[in-house]
Amino acid sequence: MADSASPQDTDTAAADDRRRFFAVVTSILAGALATLTPLAAGVATFCSPLFRKHKHHQVRIALLSQVPDDGLPRYFPVSVDRQDAWNRYPRQRVGAVYLIRQSGVAEPIALTAKCPHAGCFIGYTPGGDGFKCPCHTSEFKLDGARVHGDAEVAPRDMDRLPVELRQISGADGASAIEVWVEYIDFQTGHREQIRTA
Amino acid sequence: MSGPLQNVIAWLDDRTGVRAIVHEALYERVPGGARWRYVWGSTLVVAFATQAITGVFLWMAYSPSTQTAWESVYYIHHEMAGGWLLRGIHHFMAHAMVVLLAIHLLQVVIDGAYRAPRELNFVLGLVLMLIVLGLSLTGYLLPWDQKGYWATKVSTELASQAPIAGPTLKNLAIGGTEYGHHTLTRFFALHAGVLPALLVLVLVLHVALFRRHGLHPRDPHHAPDAMFWPDQLLKDSVAALAVLAVVLALTIYYGGAELTAPADSANPYAAARPETYFLFLFQFLKWFPGELEVWGAIVIPTIALALLFLMPWIGRSRGGHLFNVALLFCLLGGAALLTAQALNDDYLAKWTDRTEENAAAYDASAAFLAAKREAAHEAERVIDLAQSPAKIPAAGALTLMHDDPYLQGPKLFVQHCASCHNYLDREHPDATANIVSAAPTAPNLFGVGSRKWLTGLLDPEQVATVHYFGYRGSPFVGDGENTDMVDFVQEAASYEDDEEMDADAKWQVQAAFEKIAAALSAEAQLPEQVEIDRRDQEMIAAGQALMEGGLAEVVSNGMSCTDCHSFGEMQDIGSPVLDGYMSRQWLMDFIRNPADERFYGEKNDRMPAFAPHDDRRLNQLDEKSLSLIVDWLRGDWYRPNNASTSD
Repeated sequence: MADSASPQDTDTAAADDRRRFFAVVTSILAGALATLTPLAAGVATFCSPLFRKHKHHQVRIALLSQVPDDGLPRYFPVSVDRQDAWNRYPRQRVGAVYLIRQSGVAEPIALTAKCPHAGCFIGYTPGGDGFKCPCHTSEFKLDGARVHGDAEVAPRDMDRLPVELRQISGADGASAIEVWVEYIDFQTGHREQIRTA
Repeated sequence: MSGPLQNVIAWLDDRTGVRAIVHEALYERVPGGARWRYVWGSTLVVAFATQAITGVFLWMAYSPSTQTAWESVYYIHHEMAGGWLLRGIHHFMAHAMVVLLAIHLLQVVIDGAYRAPRELNFVLGLVLMLIVLGLSLTGYLLPWDQKGYWATKVSTELASQAPIAGPTLKNLAIGGTEYGHHTLTRFFALHAGVLPALLVLVLVLHVALFRRHGLHPRDPHHAPDAMFWPDQLLKDSVAALAVLAVVLALTIYYGGAELTAPADSANPYAAARPETYFLFLFQFLKWFPGELEVWGAIVIPTIALALLFLMPWIGRSRGGHLFNVALLFCLLGGAALLTAQALNDDYLAKWTDRTEENAAAYDASAAFLAAKREAAHEAERVIDLAQSPAKIPAAGALTLMHDDPYLQGPKLFVQHCASCHNYLDREHPDATANIVSAAPTAPNLFGVGSRKWLTGLLDPEQVATVHYFGYRGSPFVGDGENTDMVDFVQEAASYEDDEEMDADAKWQVQAAFEKIAAALSAEAQLPEQVEIDRRDQEMIAAGQALMEGGLAEVVSNGMSCTDCHSFGEMQDIGSPVLDGYMSRQWLMDFIRNPADERFYGEKNDRMPAFAPHDDRRLNQLDEKSLSLIVDWLRGDWYRPNNASTSD
């Protein structure tokens, strides 16, 4: 048919091709828009946690008088006002720290109970000479250093948290010293301390 | 009858071609005849169908949020008719599926059924395997109990160590930086929506390709060819029934799937382990110190998986095929060995004794077993509470645990009291509830305020023991500064000059002390003594009269309780007030400030004042912890009717 095509036929054929091209492009675009728009809305919502910033809290842990200067770890839960999606929980326990005060030293050190290996809860048996992680058997000395150094499963020593002492006094004239800790969450599995986003 | 039915089928077939579809589905040729070795693929399909059926019914009763997930699973398991069975089948069939997958994979590889033209179907099979493992992983968290929570926390923590995108992936998977509502909603959407839909899609392709290529016969001349229906289908059905029988047996044996205590981010679960079929990965990680962990957690598993996917192409040559078979045996064998090793590490203490060589391993295992026992104990308790008439509050089951003196009392006691006081049931020295240190510096508080405890306090033989006032460095005995009470009890019945009078007086004093113990104990109003307090009203009245002065006529030194203590009317004389002795209010006030003038005053030589200030920030103990300790010491906690937790 093509060899006997008149100019008019060629025009029609070209017009047909154009029409066909537009039909193809339009159907692909329209179809893609129709399906991708809801998908994009879904993905955006799904990704919303990425746009939220995680806050690190200053937390009151205990009174200094509750941490004797005997070099032994004392366990304290960490309670903060926590928001979980639509709920707000006042003073919810979100973790724990060990406070250790050496003899004659004013300020205790604070070690988070979260294992730097995979985030398990590091345990301490009162009177024991070290910390033990119950999951992959990492061991730490009382200052948080790994017992077996780099041969330990945990990639770094227990994470120390910044400690601040605050003097307070009550209406009845009594005063006390509070131990505050910046409760920072670190990523696990790395040699360095990297804060979670 | 068959006439109308035939008509309906004919009508349907005319509109849909259903006869041809059914025919094609059933009349598949099985070269070499039906064989038991071909059943594994079909059992997997039936296993998935089981999961879909039980899953949908579980879905109808499950509610994914941090205040309702554990609660709704508890309700399914313990309150709904047959719920434990439904959940048990879903749980154990998930285990069965992983085993069946391994068998199916092993058989396909050994038979070389992945060779051309079946390469893509092998790949689809592996994709199905990954989806099933994903379903297991996501399902484990949904009950939101301690076990699933802590195990999944570890696995998402590990995923976050993947290079570059790790932290972002973790953030997206758990819906934020911390576990919460959106962790559950996401895991549930994956578990009940996305993954099953994907699985069905890939399964349809898998079966379609399988039909396109036909069955890969192990030995086409084994027997005359047969048809799928009914020859092979018979064997498939029997095998599926056998799988179900095993799953049912496991469900009944274990009483359904385990539900540990509600997830608590602040209550570490030291026995957190992944589901059994992931234990090998867990164990594998112990081999990789420090930053090498990413190799154990991600790199090596990824390489192993990549090799699996390449098997059809590796296996084109005879040598390649042998390599594949050897690799798979190594992987499965290695996984089995690691699993055995993981179980041995954890349960070692059950079947060996502690020696010097195995001390560290033994202690770790003992700690694991203790944590497991403790978790089972907590789970049992919280289920008792959930079944109490008060039910679960809207804030969730976790508040049941946090507000329960029975569970929290011992923890707080260990934290605040146990460095001085013991809590030792002397009649059951091996009871797990005992909290004992070798050298206490204050009285044993087990049963404090009860008749038995007070009878011991007023017993000349016992008052100076370690359980009352005879602890290390006590000011009440020997050369102490405050020996009046112990001297009084010990000398009450001694008339040194007259042995006859002595014997008679002993009996009288004993009878008087018995009444005083009853009267004083009644002041405590212990929940456990309500009945005997009511029964012994006369004896208690007599005891009160003795305390208020009558005792002076009985004992040798002519003194009664009120010569030192205040009772009945307020006096200020530096010994504890006996009105309401060991009652809730009395004990709370005492712990707040034992140096208060109502208690020991200036004579308090050691006990800290835990909450003496109106300004709460200045106090060591908050009101709630204080009341939990006091309620626990006084045995004031909810007891279910069967009283299984009264130890």
